[in-house]
Amino acid sequence: MLATESRIAALERYLARAGGAREVTISGWRRLSGGAVQECWAFEVELRGGALEGCSTLVLRTDAATALIASRSRAEEFALLHAAFAARVRVPEPLFCSEGGEGVGRAFFLMRWVDGIADGATLVRSADWETRRPNLLSELGRELAKIHAMPVDAGLGFLGEPPADPAAHRIQRYRTWLRRFDDPHPVAELALRWLERNRPPPIPAVLCHGDFRTGNYLANEDGIAAILDWEFADWGDPHEDIGWFCSKSWRFGAYEREAGGLGAREAFYRAYMAAGGRAIDPKRVRYWELAASLRWLLLALQQRDRFLRGGERSLDLALTGRRPAECEFEILRLIDAEEGA
Amino acid sequence: MRDLPTGPQLEQIAREWEAKGIAGLPPKERAVAEAMVERCKAIARRESDAGEGALAPIRAELAALYGEGEAGLERLAAEIRDGMLDAPSARRGRVLALLRALTLQKLSESNPRFLRAHGLGCVS
Repeated sequence: MLATESRIAALERYLARAGGAREVTISGWRRLSGGAVQECWAFEVELRGGALEGCSTLVLRTDAATALIASRSRAEEFALLHAAFAARVRVPEPLFCSEGGEGVGRAFFLMRWVDGIADGATLVRSADWETRRPNLLSELGRELAKIHAMPVDAGLGFLGEPPADPAAHRIQRYRTWLRRFDDPHPVAELALRWLERNRPPPIPAVLCHGDFRTGNYLANEDGIAAILDWEFADWGDPHEDIGWFCSKSWRFGAYEREAGGLGAREAFYRAYMAAGGRAIDPKRVRYWELAASLRWLLLALQQRDRFLRGGERSLDLALTGRRPAECEFEILRLIDAEEGA
Repeated sequence: MRDLPTGPQLEQIAREWEAKGIAGLPPKERAVAEAMVERCKAIARRESDAGEGALAPIRAELAALYGEGEAGLERLAAEIRDGMLDAPSARRGRVLALLRALTLQKLSESNPRFLRAHGLGCVS
């Protein structure tokens, strides 16, 4: 994207205007790792005058060259972050949003830096985190309960009305995604048919994070520091977020620790319900876990197409194209388990 | 029948990254990029080693169920989509077995560690 001096200068001018500062100096511009869909950059900034006067570290989040179908705009993600911050969900403080991408060239928003580790493999596998994982799991259960209780006000009007039947709504979306691929995906078709035929009775939709999983939160010695990546937030069955979190794809190899690679799902469920989350129906979670494998399969195919057709010469995107078989394995296993039950 | 990108496409992107100079990246990014380059090459190598022979029994079963030609997988997908395989039947059992075999073969090339973690060793 940027990093040229002229663009940093433009961002300094933007920050001076948005923050009401007399003078702004940016230093230490660096790209943050991760973020196959969006790009994040961190930098130190010194503002003289205005509400944010002083030195701080900020993060700029902007679009990647091509987006996934379901990705929300940066302005919408900023509004969601704002609503979460207001609801006391642990998130980075959102500061400013530029839909026009002033000086940067693409829409972006700015938020405060939060210290912590997001790398899923480290959090799940490192011995340094072993004794802290139970606490992380409990805190995540509490954060998810807060997210599902977030008020949806006029600032989130872009979400539209909640669907009467969240599962039917989601199946329709996945059907649409699947039709976009030129090549056949019979296991994805099988998953869709199974989800259609075994749809649970509708329950009221809540605001779901949409990508609540290990890898998308920051953890530090104090516990969960921030829930990140709100670009897929949408109305949904609350069990959808829980199924996604427990999905095998996000256990980073610690398959026996079913809740995000951190611990037992029962501990996560208990923390969620104790914090006011609705009663969890394990059968419904299993349904959404199968849906999670289908969703990751379809997202992986979209990532693949960014490499094959979108011209993004990324190793990560290329390798993601070879990951659908992991989802297919899990879909076949889960259908076997459900039909044999 | 295999997932994309193909082995040669993975080799190509690995070469591109090597040529543009992974060595110049900061240490952490360099380690990640090197690991991904190696993974691309390893998948390509395993795919090449397995060759078409590894897929032959799967292709034969697909042809037995859906006829000869390249459209077998599309016909299979359509049959599932149209609900023709919803109910338990011998045909559904054969199709599921075929899909399992294909998935395991693909994983043996793209992620054998995943298979080992699930108690499944060398498949091909």
